Amino acid sequence: MTISQLSHIAMEMGLILLSNGAETYRVEESMHRICIALGAREAEIFCVPTTIIISITMDDIETLTLTRRIHTRVTDLTKVDELNHLSRQICYEAISYDDLLSEIKRINNAPAYPYLLQVLAFAFIAQMYTLFFGGNFLDSCIGFIIGIGTKLLMDVMIRLETNIFFINMVGGFIAATVAVIASGLGLTTHMNTIIIGSIMTLVPGLVITNAIRDIIAGDYLAGLTKGIEALLIAAAIAAGVAVPLSLLRPFWGG
Amino acid sequence: MTYFLPCLYAFGASYAFAIVFNIKKNKLLFSALGGFVGQLTFALFQLIIGNDIILSMLAAIAISLYAEIMARATSSPTTIYLAIALIPLVPGGGMYYTMLYFINGDADLGLSTGIHTLLISGAVAVGIILVSSSVMLTRKIMIRRKLAVRKQFKQDKNEPLS
Repeated sequence: MTISQLSHIAMEMGLILLSNGAETYRVEESMHRICIALGAREAEIFCVPTTIIISITMDDIETLTLTRRIHTRVTDLTKVDELNHLSRQICYEAISYDDLLSEIKRINNAPAYPYLLQVLAFAFIAQMYTLFFGGNFLDSCIGFIIGIGTKLLMDVMIRLETNIFFINMVGGFIAATVAVIASGLGLTTHMNTIIIGSIMTLVPGLVITNAIRDIIAGDYLAGLTKGIEALLIAAAIAAGVAVPLSLLRPFWGG
Repeated sequence: MTYFLPCLYAFGASYAFAIVFNIKKNKLLFSALGGFVGQLTFALFQLIIGNDIILSMLAAIAISLYAEIMARATSSPTTIYLAIALIPLVPGGGMYYTMLYFINGDADLGLSTGIHTLLISGAVAVGIILVSSSVMLTRKIMIRRKLAVRKQFKQDKNEPLS
């Protein structure tokens, strides 16, 4: 395998891993292992949540350095799982360049769950958490409606490449507005429960987990970046919820 | 039943979260079970301990143990199980009430709730760190021991020849 082919494979896998929600240390470790297994003499990888830099030495003179920038990040843990599996497979057996490339392409283009199911799942989360925090069945149905609305609006905003804090702020805004209106119409007396249950859908669980795991693994730069991202998302949700609660105060009589 | 119902709700929510995070079909159930395990630990220890900061830490320890075991058993990344199970432990209620007290102008109550929320999130992080670090440590010790055994084996093999 030539050095450009090797760097292409490693970079593609690293990119898909990093942009789909793998921890930074996992990305660095799998890229390093792939490079060594495919015949590089030395491989240095530097990886932060938005950038990958890789530098490979194959023979004595030839050195190649590549940089890639990551702009959009989504959460797709199936891809992380399968690529993790593939990187282990590369270490154990020899696979040709074309096979590897087609395998990576297959993993990257694998279909997600149908969109309707995703929306329903998102709404179901809001419903379950409303019950979890002590609401009754009617409250949970209001939570379900909020969940559908939040998911649809968030997807439109993601397609327009809005920044993540504004998206979460709008999510909190919708949750609080619908809950306040429902409470104003006399449908429910558990307004707080509905709002808490609905904003649990926006909680950045994966970001928190990755921040903690990165810091344990010694990647302080990536860990701190993600920790601050999680804190800012939480602040954005709170700010979004605060707006209707303050403005629509006559409705809920607080 | 009042203790058990939240566990079921946490399970349902985790299952839906697993779909949103696009986890493979054959691992959906196991990753959702993590949320159930965390809430069950929380509910069980609630009968003995009254402090919810310690309770959160115990639940975090339980979910990370579960996640590490499942990750070894199915040979997939720990994150898949941990991220999903973690979400029911995130103090969303504390976050909301902190904000509510502040916009109501009740700064004292807001501060104390905020600090309590921060402590809970810190306790969850400490629980995960404890388990993950111990697992990494045991793995390193096991690898070292395996290497030592292999070395010994090679020496034994070579001795009669030399």
